[in-house]
Amino acid sequence: MALLSMKNISKSFFGKMANSQVCFDLEPGEIHALLGENGAGKTTLMNILYGIYSRDSGDIFWKGQKVSFTSPRDAIAFQIGMVHQHFMLVPTLTVSQNITLGLKEKGYPFTDRKALNATITEVAQKYGLQIDVNAYISNLSVGEQQRVEIIKLLYRDAELLILDEPTAMLTPQETEYFFEVLRKLRADGHSVIIITHRIPEIMSISDRVTVLRDGYNVVTAKTSDISEQELSRYMIGRQLQIIQREAVVSDTGSEGISLEEVSLKEKGRERLNSLSLQIAPGEIVGVAGVDGNGQKELVEVILGIRKQSSGKIRMDGVDMSSMSVLERKKLGIGYISDDRHQDGLVMDMSLTDNILLKTHTDRRFIKHGLINTRLVRAETQKAVEDYAIKTPGLNTPLRYLSGGNQQKLILAREMAGNPKAIIAHQPTRGLDIGATEFVQQQLLQHRSNGCSILLISADLEEVLLLSDRIAVLYKGCFMGIFPNTPELNLSQIGLLMAGKTSEARKESL
Amino acid sequence: MDSGFIALITMYLVASVRMATPLILAGLGEAVSEKAGILNIGVEAIMLSGAFFSFIVAFFTGNLYLGLLTGILGGILVSMIHAVLSIHCKANQTIAGLALNFMVMGLTSFLFLIVFGQTTTIPACNMFGDLKIPLLSSIPIIGPALFNQNIFVYLALIGIILTAIFFYKTEWGINLQAVGEYPQAANSAGLNVFAIRYFACFINGVLGGLGGASITLGQLGFFMENVTSGRGYIALVAVILGRRNPIGIFAAAMVIGFSQALQYNLQTLGFPIPTQVFTMFPYLVAVIVLFLSIGKSIDPSALGIPFERNKR
Repeated sequence: MALLSMKNISKSFFGKMANSQVCFDLEPGEIHALLGENGAGKTTLMNILYGIYSRDSGDIFWKGQKVSFTSPRDAIAFQIGMVHQHFMLVPTLTVSQNITLGLKEKGYPFTDRKALNATITEVAQKYGLQIDVNAYISNLSVGEQQRVEIIKLLYRDAELLILDEPTAMLTPQETEYFFEVLRKLRADGHSVIIITHRIPEIMSISDRVTVLRDGYNVVTAKTSDISEQELSRYMIGRQLQIIQREAVVSDTGSEGISLEEVSLKEKGRERLNSLSLQIAPGEIVGVAGVDGNGQKELVEVILGIRKQSSGKIRMDGVDMSSMSVLERKKLGIGYISDDRHQDGLVMDMSLTDNILLKTHTDRRFIKHGLINTRLVRAETQKAVEDYAIKTPGLNTPLRYLSGGNQQKLILAREMAGNPKAIIAHQPTRGLDIGATEFVQQQLLQHRSNGCSILLISADLEEVLLLSDRIAVLYKGCFMGIFPNTPELNLSQIGLLMAGKTSEARKESL
Repeated sequence: MDSGFIALITMYLVASVRMATPLILAGLGEAVSEKAGILNIGVEAIMLSGAFFSFIVAFFTGNLYLGLLTGILGGILVSMIHAVLSIHCKANQTIAGLALNFMVMGLTSFLFLIVFGQTTTIPACNMFGDLKIPLLSSIPIIGPALFNQNIFVYLALIGIILTAIFFYKTEWGINLQAVGEYPQAANSAGLNVFAIRYFACFINGVLGGLGGASITLGQLGFFMENVTSGRGYIALVAVILGRRNPIGIFAAAMVIGFSQALQYNLQTLGFPIPTQVFTMFPYLVAVIVLFLSIGKSIDPSALGIPFERNKR
């Protein structure tokens, strides 16, 4: 008998179907992967199971019994636990407090914290999860926070663990360690649903896989019976084009972007530590590293959003260290921010107005001191056509466009007029495979046009795919810069991303 | 030490505690509310309602305890309106609080006029007398200030201790903090975010109503239009200065209470300065202290943000 069985689940948001008649089965003691692109409805389906969303129709059976959860509390009572993509941990509380949050332990509300800590440590050690129970969440790394989430579920006796994109923020080594934990859990009789869009990981960890596309379930199969190619075809509904990075002869006439011992100190903390790097025209330098190791700072220093404490930044030999953001952009720098909602776009403004955000000082668009709306509209129309942006109209607020189409608008704006340099910070974050492919091809296109590109991505695969050279960033330092050749030692990169220099050195011997 | 000097200090301390009492009571309530993520700047309205209803009942029944109880109910009434607006209707909490302040000011003045008409003599009611606690009250300086006062002072002191235990020694405090910092996480851990927020607003009403009653039944013995005269706002200042920590709120309220006591004293000394200048004094102190504490306030992350369950 299936442990869990979801039958004909439907759910719509604002008239748009997120799940249509989805069926999903889970056997006891299996690791079942839920695969699909962003927006395919994976998380929605699991949130429905977990009682976070209410479903429009369909039935859920847990151990053969019909259930309906209206809040996570109900799901937890049935020993179902979920780790969300964005961790559900309160940063101002300790590990121990977070783990027991919402539980009524012995002596409640005056619980004996020491006794709880002992139990928590015992549970954690059983699965080889190391954690300091008295540490505050805000001081923990992403990997550690994930451990806390898992311990939280185990402490609550979860029989089924639902994990939403658990490896998105982990280094390759952390991922391997994490999969070991999952295997231990399976051996111990737990069942796991792992939501992901990374096919290789599915092949390595799961017993069965269910693919969702556009809210429908496409296929459920044993992982051993299906190939990576088949999975990717099921997931995106067509054959994926293979991106090829061709050799580009760089034009020696100019220098591109160069950083000379750039440091940034903020609030007494060293954010960037003497970074030196040169990106030649026609070159993509990829920065590998776990999020929060100075990526944002590096990008913003190059653009002039933050001011470096020391060092020089040059563009084609011109020292732009003391220039304003606008002056730098006028030198020909395009900027794709990692957070398009925060830094890239104004969500309530139309496409035209968002195009104007960068070009409002451009003389071409100004006539008698006023903006020449007709010209801007023409420019926007061109962008919509060139980049195949799906939109109801030019005056539609960006909020109503999908993430991929929003990102395309940023590309259209930042890549207009053949920039000399592009700073691409997580350019494909939150995009589905189709849109990702498009963005990556655009970057390669500009590379062939002689653009210097800095690519920062949390996705190591992407860095490997696009970069000519790879720089590893850890705690604001470059741990090394390597040419991206087939001989590149991946586990060395992974160790450097985790700051393990000595082990990495051993690895390279 | 000079006995005259000690007498002076004692006198100021007694007056400061008395002035600080409404601020402490209302401040503690607001701290509970803000910890849970509900920013209620309608403390003034809660206090005014508490002051009005406690006075009306005390005046007509002559029973001070019944008055105190009605004061609490008056406070709860206002804070629950704010709670429904901000939790259920997901309204902007600041605007809701502001609207309540004006509404309650108009409403209490109007009701007062209906009941008493235009009078030249202000109607007065009995007040709570001082309760001397044996032994403790004979400690020099702090004895008279803390242990020979009216019931509201004792309630405020007990309130500080209970709130501190609640915040820092119980699971409830952790739940409250979780709801104010990261309601999605609290919800996911199985806590009922709405219920906890309503509860926090309820406590805010109880303590704020008590704070209002302490003005009419503990300090003045009468009610008049806008009798709270901005003490609700000052209580908000005390909450921010005290970082929502009960002891901190006590300290902040004492600083402001002292400046109020000083202000009354200076007024009677007969300087040739308009009394309005002195009335300004406590507010001036509040502004200056706020300047000094720039950038130190750590607000709960979800303060003022409505929680939505089914949100994408």
